[in-house]
Amino acid sequence: MINLYQPKTVIIKNIKIQTKENKLFTLQFKNKKDQQKFFFTAGQFVEIGIFGFGEAPFAICSSSLNESDFFQICVRKIGQLTEKIHSLKIGDEIQIRGPYGNGFPEIKNPINLLLIGGGIGLVPLRSIIQTIKQDNKNKIILFYGAKNYNELLFKDEYKQWQKFLDLRIILEKPNLKWKGRVGLITALFNEINILQAMSHKPQVFLCGPPIMYKFVIQKLKELKIPNKNIFLSLERRMHCGIGICQHCAIDSKYVCKDGPVFNYGKIKNSVFAF
Amino acid sequence: MIQSQLQKFIAYLQKQKYSVFGPFEEDGIIKIKQVINSKKFKLLGKLSFYSFKKFFLPQKEILFNFEKNHLIKNKEISKKQALFGMSIFDLKALILYNNIFEKDFFYQQRRKNTLVIGQSIMLSDEKVFKNWEEKYEEDVLEHLRFDIFLGITNHPTSQVCWPFFLEHNELKSQKIKYKIFTGTIIGQKILDEFGYKDYEHIQFTGPIKEEGVSLEMIKIKNAMKKKYKAEIWEELGKKCIECGKCSLVCPTCFCFDINDQMILGKNKGQREQCWTSCFYQEFSEIAGGYKFLNSAAKKIYNWYYHKFVRIPEEYNLSGCTECGRCIKVCPAGIDIRKVLESIKTL
Repeated sequence: MINLYQPKTVIIKNIKIQTKENKLFTLQFKNKKDQQKFFFTAGQFVEIGIFGFGEAPFAICSSSLNESDFFQICVRKIGQLTEKIHSLKIGDEIQIRGPYGNGFPEIKNPINLLLIGGGIGLVPLRSIIQTIKQDNKNKIILFYGAKNYNELLFKDEYKQWQKFLDLRIILEKPNLKWKGRVGLITALFNEINILQAMSHKPQVFLCGPPIMYKFVIQKLKELKIPNKNIFLSLERRMHCGIGICQHCAIDSKYVCKDGPVFNYGKIKNSVFAF
Repeated sequence: MIQSQLQKFIAYLQKQKYSVFGPFEEDGIIKIKQVINSKKFKLLGKLSFYSFKKFFLPQKEILFNFEKNHLIKNKEISKKQALFGMSIFDLKALILYNNIFEKDFFYQQRRKNTLVIGQSIMLSDEKVFKNWEEKYEEDVLEHLRFDIFLGITNHPTSQVCWPFFLEHNELKSQKIKYKIFTGTIIGQKILDEFGYKDYEHIQFTGPIKEEGVSLEMIKIKNAMKKKYKAEIWEELGKKCIECGKCSLVCPTCFCFDINDQMILGKNKGQREQCWTSCFYQEFSEIAGGYKFLNSAAKKIYNWYYHKFVRIPEEYNLSGCTECGRCIKVCPAGIDIRKVLESIKTL
């Protein structure tokens, strides 16, 4: 019997500064076999730990299908552990467990996908973007809302993304460097007729703060997008990652095990979900 | 088996390198302590203040040690322990642990090294006892996991409901006789080797009774699922002071944190799994400080939801053993019996 909580070692292969608070870490298992065995789907997460600083869950933001010899996480500096992670350098070691959770559902072909990310909610959605192959038949729209210009993630990748998806960014606060839209993410629904832009009702994947879900889902309901098409990723405190410790329980489900991605219809009446 | 034989049996177990633990009465409180002198030990037939939870799930479990960047496995294998006097309520909780921690290395190690010796609790309700004794073996014991069980035979006993609140019979322990049941081959073997043959073996038939899950449990579950906004949670929220005592004494409260503990001044430490309570402030807190369980009403609803909905849906078992310990310790006077009655009428 194995110790469920024993992590494996990964090595930092690259660090890319995204914003003042966010860094993108490229990680590779120290043991080659561990790297080969490591397969995940978009939306799954790992428990990242540093000895002496504890562990916390992080969404993986790369694609297992297209980049199998490494994986990436984007870390926002917000507490003791993440501050420590931010202080690390290329070649340093991190401990990981996982991947855990279910990830986003299979994307149906032909692809009709509306991705909606708020703030660091873009991180798990990037995993989907990295997975999708460029194909003219695909119809993908990405709504991305952030507070400030300085908080925009993956800035240098937008050009590449725009080759195969319709990227619409909106910032809550105006900025001299920003010539784009200003407002809340829901404003994006007013400028494009989603149902016309897509040949049939799209699958919608959301990730963002609870408050965003409330207003975005209202918009989706106005468009008569059925619950079965809507999937959202929830954030919770997690300790074990495997559905035992109870921190992430909502109703009779565990965000770590049955989520973090849930079909909206399955949790919409939950007292604990939003 | 009589009291003096029981004491000899304990001495025998100690010779077999078991650390023996059992209930003792001190200042009117039943505490579970290590039996040092077997001649002084007597089973009281009373429910202990704390459950036996910590003997299976200790307050702190070292998952591994580390020094700088190196992980050092925790090779400390738990020692042999014999737990005397687990009540059927504690045994019900044990069934639940076995399910929840079925893949947990540390729990399984500890469970394997533990000899479980149950006892019936003596209560004064003779009427109930008569119905109950006849069905005892098939209705109660065959659904529990134990190695040996000591059924007190010569006194009115009853464990039907909420034992803390029925008056205990005063009795002279020398006169108690125990009927001995075994639940495992290990239990049989130990008794055989000790030289005691007069036991009856109970075949475990699974945790659920033939007639299935109790209708009572289903009723509570359904009512809980439908009615969050019922006033009852708001009312309880006003009473509850979020101290977490109920989760400390509850045999089925097993929530835990995983934290790192450093040894002061040294570059080493350990990762620990430790008890927590869903009533504590940081239980549902995420990065940035937001808490999902952000009111006493939500916390208490979550506590009841876990026991009466989540556990039943996950394991088809009740998450409450009906021991009544939480009623005893609640400083706000919240009585689970009354709460359940109100839930049923929702």
